[in-house]
Amino acid sequence: MRADPLSITFATLADPTRRAILSRLSSGQATVNELAQPFALSLPAISKHLKVLERAGLISRGRNAQWRPCRLKASPLKAVADWVEEYRRFWEASFDRLDEYLRELQSPEKTQAAPKGGPPRRRHRIAAPARTRPRRA
Amino acid sequence: MAADTNLAGQTSASEIVITRVFDAPRALVFKAWTEPAHLKRWWAPEGFTTPHYTVDLRPGGRMHYCMRSPEGSDYWGLGTFREIVVPERLVYIDSFADAQGNPVPPAHYGISASHPAETLVTVTFTERAGRTTLTLRYAVPATVPERDMAAQGWNQMLDKLAGLLARA
Repeated sequence: MRADPLSITFATLADPTRRAILSRLSSGQATVNELAQPFALSLPAISKHLKVLERAGLISRGRNAQWRPCRLKASPLKAVADWVEEYRRFWEASFDRLDEYLRELQSPEKTQAAPKGGPPRRRHRIAAPARTRPRRA
Repeated sequence: MAADTNLAGQTSASEIVITRVFDAPRALVFKAWTEPAHLKRWWAPEGFTTPHYTVDLRPGGRMHYCMRSPEGSDYWGLGTFREIVVPERLVYIDSFADAQGNPVPPAHYGISASHPAETLVTVTFTERAGRTTLTLRYAVPATVPERDMAAQGWNQMLDKLAGLLARA
């Protein structure tokens, strides 16, 4: 249920060897042998990491059976960046509202501004300043 | 202006860090973040309302809220508290929910599958000279086997990721 693409990307990146592999690939394609060199890892161990990266769509492997060079695929990383941007904007706006609200709470001429916790059933009692609705006190 | 914002500084590529200074004491800012009567006044996006908000402020407790769009569509959300230090720190897992408080996948609201089902939110409040610095961290918790490693290696990973993105 939680296997959304972004979580898969993060989980895949949550391994130092795989991150190092991606780092290496960001400067150009490489073969499995080339990738294995900097690590004290066996080829099968590297292959396992490559499979994880491939499944997550972070690398692609060439068709050439002998070399099968690995290449970085950046689009899942782009999804990460997009997600960040979307949430940044959301929280920026939320903090603008909180800031305004805190000012209102502390403003001396509006001492009534601090709402008290009301009764639990207040379905439609909404603080919508733009509209005037009948209020249940 | 009462509020300063630092949005650029520390944010990495997959964890959002937003810092904002509010011209209000910490106890008040913390209350504004944890009491339904206050939350209803600022939580929902512009044009939205917050017809429902409940908060059970204890570890394992939940905040359950409804944001109503201008068209009248309801978006329910759920936060499950991991850690509470009054009035300093809040850690909770945030997800979409239904009206009964069950978590639902983002697709339930027609939100893209690339959106994470759960996010880990850490809010810290520090006070200095009557002003409060609020720092919010928003991250995708790794829900698959490498969870612990993800938590430990998060920042390092994000640095690398940022580097990758810059070159991609």
